[in-house]
Amino acid sequence: MNTGIAGDFLGLLAQNNLRPLAAESSTRAPEQTHATTVFAFRFRDGVLVAGDRRATAGNVIVADDVNKIIEIDRHSLLAIAGVPAMAFEMARVMQVSFAYYRRSQLQPLSQEAKVRALARLLRENLPLTLQGVGVVAPVFATVEAQGDKVVPRIYFYDPLGAQFEAVAFAASGSGSGTVRSVLSFQERFGEVKPSTMTLNQAIRFAHNVLTVASEFDAATGGVDPLRTVWPVIKVLDANGVRDVEAAEHLDARKEGV
Amino acid sequence: MTEEPFRWLEAIANRRDYVQQQIGTGSPVFAVSLEAGILLLGVGSGQSKVFEIFDRQAMAALGHPADIERVRQMLIDAAHLEAFTRASADVNVRRLVSFGLSPQLKQSFEQIFQAPFMIDLLLGEVAEHPSKDVLVKVNFDGGFKIQHGGVMVAAPKPEQVTLATDWLKANLDQKLKPESAALVLLLAWNSLTSGTPLPEKSEQPVKLPDALVEQLSDKVVEAAVLERKGSNVARYVPLMPLLTG
Repeated sequence: MNTGIAGDFLGLLAQNNLRPLAAESSTRAPEQTHATTVFAFRFRDGVLVAGDRRATAGNVIVADDVNKIIEIDRHSLLAIAGVPAMAFEMARVMQVSFAYYRRSQLQPLSQEAKVRALARLLRENLPLTLQGVGVVAPVFATVEAQGDKVVPRIYFYDPLGAQFEAVAFAASGSGSGTVRSVLSFQERFGEVKPSTMTLNQAIRFAHNVLTVASEFDAATGGVDPLRTVWPVIKVLDANGVRDVEAAEHLDARKEGV
Repeated sequence: MTEEPFRWLEAIANRRDYVQQQIGTGSPVFAVSLEAGILLLGVGSGQSKVFEIFDRQAMAALGHPADIERVRQMLIDAAHLEAFTRASADVNVRRLVSFGLSPQLKQSFEQIFQAPFMIDLLLGEVAEHPSKDVLVKVNFDGGFKIQHGGVMVAAPKPEQVTLATDWLKANLDQKLKPESAALVLLLAWNSLTSGTPLPEKSEQPVKLPDALVEQLSDKVVEAAVLERKGSNVARYVPLMPLLTG
């Protein structure tokens, strides 16, 4: 039985000598794989979180069908940019520890604690971050119940674990500069602001953003409608997390770009 | 004492009597495999009796609340460690019980200078088809029985278990919705706790007698379903609000 802090899954792991992010330092690290370009923005009914499908190592495309948008629980999504080896492990720790807390303590983890949990994992990854071989810069989206209302929230992190709440959108990865520019422009000057878009409009807009990002960043996969592999888009609303299906991608594109 | 076999056996026998006496006033719990999933039900006086363990696993228990809590935490710890170090699909009740819980219960029961667990519990694990569902009954001494699908009852007295199990096998339609099946289980619970005979044949739809509704008004009826089909990874769904009236 876990004899540490009640519901603390990381404490339980430590008791069993399991250290998920432990690694020895090395100055002879191989070329790292990077996951690139994820973003989240508010739309009318919640938060849309999207990511391209490309992973690169230097100038090599390692894979073009990677899923970087990970459901942590029914009410939170993690979008990963950086070194997937560390990012996927962080996601797994979060998935199991949130479920562990909910089941063992008979109540869900608070939103604030979820946000801090990711910061804690990033800090535990600090040695590898400082060596430049395990850098992760994620975006975290979650919904919080406030009385009858459900309020979506978007957070982004620096690789050292500092967390920042984004008002309307956040982006990370090598294509994030372009993505932030487009999102900022659209939110301030666009005819239809992202925060007022319907889901269909938001999906179409996400496609466009990724397309533009891929034109300025070789590591961003963009959108290729001829392929059946769409960008991963997930939606977080009052009902929790939902995948945007292939038919919805097609529908969104039918209405014109 | 431990180096004298007879005294040890006597101590164990006394211990068995003591534990059986302690859980003798416990409230029966049920686990049944339906088409919709596995339904677990218990009736308590405030403290919980039905719990989620992992994605497809849940438990219902009777006994001392502190021991129920200890066992629940042990199972949750073991399931989540297994899921983290291997994968969620590797978590199953057979291994949780036979390699984890059962030896622990047996050791506590037979170590006469250690407090025994005062608990009987049922575990359910939902599968693709009712015939593949796993139901496990674990006794306070570590003994356990595993079966696929069907009905399982944990009650203070063995004759109660037999009576309720036979009646439920004959009267509980697997096709019932969980909410309706829960009413059938409440009829069985009522009979076991009040000593009234079980009804000859359960009527459909089941209606609870007014006296039972009155009796349940100051208790907490807990029921949950491990859903067979669902988009969520976690299949545990509490049936709320509960069932009386």
